[in-house]
Amino acid sequence: MNKKLKYGIWLVLLVIVAYNSVYFKKLDSMKALKAGNFDAVAYANNYLRKMLPAISNNAINIDQLLNGLKLAPQKTFDTYSKALDIGSIRFFLVRGKAKIINIDDSDVYLLTDGSHSSIKIATEYIFGNAVRDASGLIHINDFSNTSDLNNISAETNKIIRQQILPSFKAQAKKGDDIEFFGAVEMKSSHPDIDDVEIIPVSLNIIH
Amino acid sequence: MRRFQVLILLFLVLVGCRNQSANNQSKKIAVIVSTLNNPWFVFLAQTAAAKAHSLGYETRIFDSQNNTALETDHFENAIASGYKAILLNPTDANGSVVNVNRAKAAGIPVFCMDREVNSANAATSQILSDSYSGSVDVGKYFVQAMHKKGKYAELLGLVSDNNTWNRSKGFHSVVDYYPGLKMVAQQGAEFDENKAMEVMESILQAHPDIEAVFCGNDAMALGAYQALISAGKAGKVKVFGFDGAADVVQSIKDGKIAATGMQFPQVMAQTAAIYADEYFKGKRDFPRKIPVSVELVTQKNVTNYIAFGKKN
Repeated sequence: MNKKLKYGIWLVLLVIVAYNSVYFKKLDSMKALKAGNFDAVAYANNYLRKMLPAISNNAINIDQLLNGLKLAPQKTFDTYSKALDIGSIRFFLVRGKAKIINIDDSDVYLLTDGSHSSIKIATEYIFGNAVRDASGLIHINDFSNTSDLNNISAETNKIIRQQILPSFKAQAKKGDDIEFFGAVEMKSSHPDIDDVEIIPVSLNIIH
Repeated sequence: MRRFQVLILLFLVLVGCRNQSANNQSKKIAVIVSTLNNPWFVFLAQTAAAKAHSLGYETRIFDSQNNTALETDHFENAIASGYKAILLNPTDANGSVVNVNRAKAAGIPVFCMDREVNSANAATSQILSDSYSGSVDVGKYFVQAMHKKGKYAELLGLVSDNNTWNRSKGFHSVVDYYPGLKMVAQQGAEFDENKAMEVMESILQAHPDIEAVFCGNDAMALGAYQALISAGKAGKVKVFGFDGAADVVQSIKDGKIAATGMQFPQVMAQTAAIYADEYFKGKRDFPRKIPVSVELVTQKNVTNYIAFGKKN
């Protein structure tokens, strides 16, 4: 065989082997891969926009919850509350209708259809695991990394803060009737029904 | 004939009971704890040992003195001495993995209490305080107490412990939303009261205008408070802790410390002992990690709490 052709074939083979042996990837994508490929933002969006609305009918009416906590607290916690952690902190998925009776920097205060006036919608401090845990849809064993679970709460709360609350805060005024769907945190050891704060998932001003 | 059948039944029941008791007595459970130089960990270890003992097991507490090499010795000793399960409070999230794997290789289940090891499959189960979420609650209260503005410092615990960072991250996940709150110092004090006092003294010299300090545990909160007394600033700088130690619960009642995150070592220790018992009885499907909730304690609700837990 011609020497030039022989070297040429070897050269082509060498280039093919070399090309397939080395891969270039962006450093950012590798860092992301190393940190785990769980996309908390996408998960939180899907959770708030699809998973939670699909079970909104399972939420307990706020008046029914408060009456239950007053008359049969243990049964009410056993029947309706959820939590990922062991312990006394439990969460309820709630819905209801109410009239706005006051507004301040942190909350919108309500008088419910059932005449409970110890209810408020949080508009400033949207933190914690209430919305993540209250549905019972998220299970700890589905996540090997604890930080993924923490990030679901952080991103869910961020969406509520940035996308759900601004229009409501801009429009809501004293005397308005509203419909709400959200989550409430309550300690089973010392349920405080005189100060109930709802982290909202959806808010509608009826009139 | 009927009497004979009853006697046989009675005999079988007695033999069954004796065998069950003998079965548990023949099994030993080791409690290996990071340190016994802190009342919190003493309570954790003693509660775990007491629960295991009440379930019928022989128990012994090993003190690792915050030294991973000593912890390794304890694991070797426990494996060689025929301990059948280990209830572990690790010294180091990474350094302790090799010890847990050694026990696993020897067929001994390990149940971690309060502190975790950085391995998804080494321990049979890890029962851990939800430090991140607890610190979110402390952070929210911190923002409210500070009215969203002011300079503050943070004292971190052991850098090798995941709880140190979970608490710091949880706290900052709230506080960093408020640009009026400016952290002017963040220093480690190894979860130690004396060290925290020294660190806080130097922070106060460099930043005499701080208005609050967030401490990653209650021992450091007490140390920071001592430094504030020495500097004549007690009551002027708000102190926030994490744990639920007796002195801090009392200090919250007295208005000296603003708040703490109450952990529940009794729940973690007892759950670990119960899991070990269930393991011996054949259960294998334990959750890899199970968080235990942390509750915010302030002057408003402090009467509901005692050291390391809640009033019944």
